Amino acid sequence: MKKANSGHCVSTQVPCGLLLGAALLFSSSSWSASCCGGGSATSLVLPKFSKSMVNIAFDIESYDGYWDGDGTYHNDQPGDDLNQYRLNLGYAHRLASRWQAAIVAPYVWNSNQYSGLSSNTNGLGDMTLGLTYEAFDGIKCVWKVRDWRDLIPAAYFGVALTVPTGISPYDNVANNFDITGRGFYRLDGNILLDKTIYPWNASLLFSYGKYLERDVNTEYGKPVEPYKKELGDRVLGTATFGYTHFLDNMDTMTFSLSYSRLQEDEVSYDGRPYAGSEIEKNSVGLILAYSTMNRDWVYKLNISHAFPEDGQGQNFPVTDIVTLGVSHVFR
Amino acid sequence: MFSVRLMMKIALLGVSLGLSGCDGITDDLLPSGDDIRQTVEAGTSGTQVGQIPPDFSVLDTLGNSRGLYDELTRSTGVVLYFTMWCPICETHMSHMRAEVMPQFPAVQFFLVDFVSGSVAASRAAQVSNKYEDIDTLVDSNQALLSLYQASMGTTVVIDSAGNIVRMNEDYKDSVKLVETLQALP
Repeated sequence: MKKANSGHCVSTQVPCGLLLGAALLFSSSSWSASCCGGGSATSLVLPKFSKSMVNIAFDIESYDGYWDGDGTYHNDQPGDDLNQYRLNLGYAHRLASRWQAAIVAPYVWNSNQYSGLSSNTNGLGDMTLGLTYEAFDGIKCVWKVRDWRDLIPAAYFGVALTVPTGISPYDNVANNFDITGRGFYRLDGNILLDKTIYPWNASLLFSYGKYLERDVNTEYGKPVEPYKKELGDRVLGTATFGYTHFLDNMDTMTFSLSYSRLQEDEVSYDGRPYAGSEIEKNSVGLILAYSTMNRDWVYKLNISHAFPEDGQGQNFPVTDIVTLGVSHVFR
Repeated sequence: MFSVRLMMKIALLGVSLGLSGCDGITDDLLPSGDDIRQTVEAGTSGTQVGQIPPDFSVLDTLGNSRGLYDELTRSTGVVLYFTMWCPICETHMSHMRAEVMPQFPAVQFFLVDFVSGSVAASRAAQVSNKYEDIDTLVDSNQALLSLYQASMGTTVVIDSAGNIVRMNEDYKDSVKLVETLQALP
C-alpha cells in the first residue's frame, strides 16, 4: 500500500476524475438504441488540475428483444440480428479553476437484419455540449479517513445541451431502425457526487432532462399535416462502486460495477399527453479502466447489460453494449 | 505527442465528415411547421387523403387471400396499420387494440407486417407478440408499403361509402384516427 503525501495525492486525483468522466460517458451510452436514436452522451468530465482532454470511444450495441408498455419482455424472431455501432469523439476544456466545457460527437452505424428486411445506414448522431461546475478546490481522494472532512465527496454540477444533429424520424429515413438521433433539443441538469477512499470508489449520478417541443411536418420522409411534438421529461440515475489496484509501476487497474435506471415521461402531441408512451430501462454495468503511471492515458472497457425479462423496462429495446475507449489528458 | 495530434486530427475529421455527410441536417436543428404536403385532386386514383385507392389482394397470416374492396363491402371502413413489431409499433398497436378498436366494431382493422417476408415468419411474429386477435396482412414484398408511401407506424383509413382514403399518416396518439373513424359516412 502506498503512503499518501501531498504530491501523490495530487496525482491520484487525476485518475479519479478520469474514471469519473468515463463513467458519465459510459452510463449515458447505455440509453442509445437505434430505434430510439443513438449516440448522445450526458457529457464528458475533465479531471481536476488538467487543461483539456480528448476521449474516443467505440460502442457495440446488440439487440435482444424489447419490453412492451406493460413491461413484458418480447424476444426477437429467429434470424433477426440488430446492431448499432457508435464512434464517440469527445473533447473537454478547462475554462477556469472550477469551470469546464465539453463536446461529444457520435458517428453511428446501424446494421439490421430483421426477418425479410435488411438495412445498413450511418450518419452523425446527436451531439452534446456540456458545461460543468466543480464545487471543490482541494483533493477529494483520500487514502485514510482522519477527519469528517475526508468524507466530503467531489461534487460536480453541470448542464448539457443535446443538439439534434443526427438522422431522426423527421428526416428522409425509412424506419426507426435507420435513425441515428431523436430529432429533439434536450437540456439536462446533472449532479455527480464522487468519493474515493483508496482503494474504493463510489459515485452517484443524477440527471434530469427536458426536451424542447418542436414542429413536425415530415415523418420518415413523407410530408404530413404539421403538428407539435414533445418527448417526456427524462430522469437518469447511476450508482457506481469500484476498486482500484495499483500495479508495481504505479499504473492502475480499476474495476467498477454500476446500476442505472432511466425513465422518460409520456410523449405529447399538440400539448396532449399520450398515455402509455413512457420509457423505462434498467441495466447493470462492468467497467474496467487502465491508467498509466502519469495518469494521462486511460483505456476503458465497459460492458452494459439489460436483463431480458419482464419488469426490467418499458417500451424500450433490450440491449447489451460493449464500449472500448481511450482518454488522454493534457495538463 | 504524435499520438495526441493524430487523435485530434481524427476527431476533427470525423466531425467534419459527419456534418458534411448528413443531408437535411438543419431539418431538425430548425424544424418547420409549414405544411409542405402536395395537394391532390379529390376523387382521382391514388393513396393520399381524398383519393380512391387501387384494389389489392394479399395473404394474411393464416394464408387467406384478403382484398381491399372485398373488405370494404363487409365493413364501414378499413384501417391499415403498418408494423415492424418494434417497441414504438407495440405501443401503437396495444393502444389501438385497447382504446380504438372497441369503439368501432364495424370497421375492419388490419396490421400490415412489412418486415417478416413470409406468411410463416409473419405468423410467428404475430403470435410471439400476442396479436392473434388482429388480422395481419403479410406484405412480403413491401408492395403495400410502397403503394401507400408508408413507413413504420403509418395508419391508413379508407371509407366504404366512397372508397376514399380519409387518413394516411403516423398513428401518434390516435386522436386523428378516432376523429377520422367517427366521421366515416
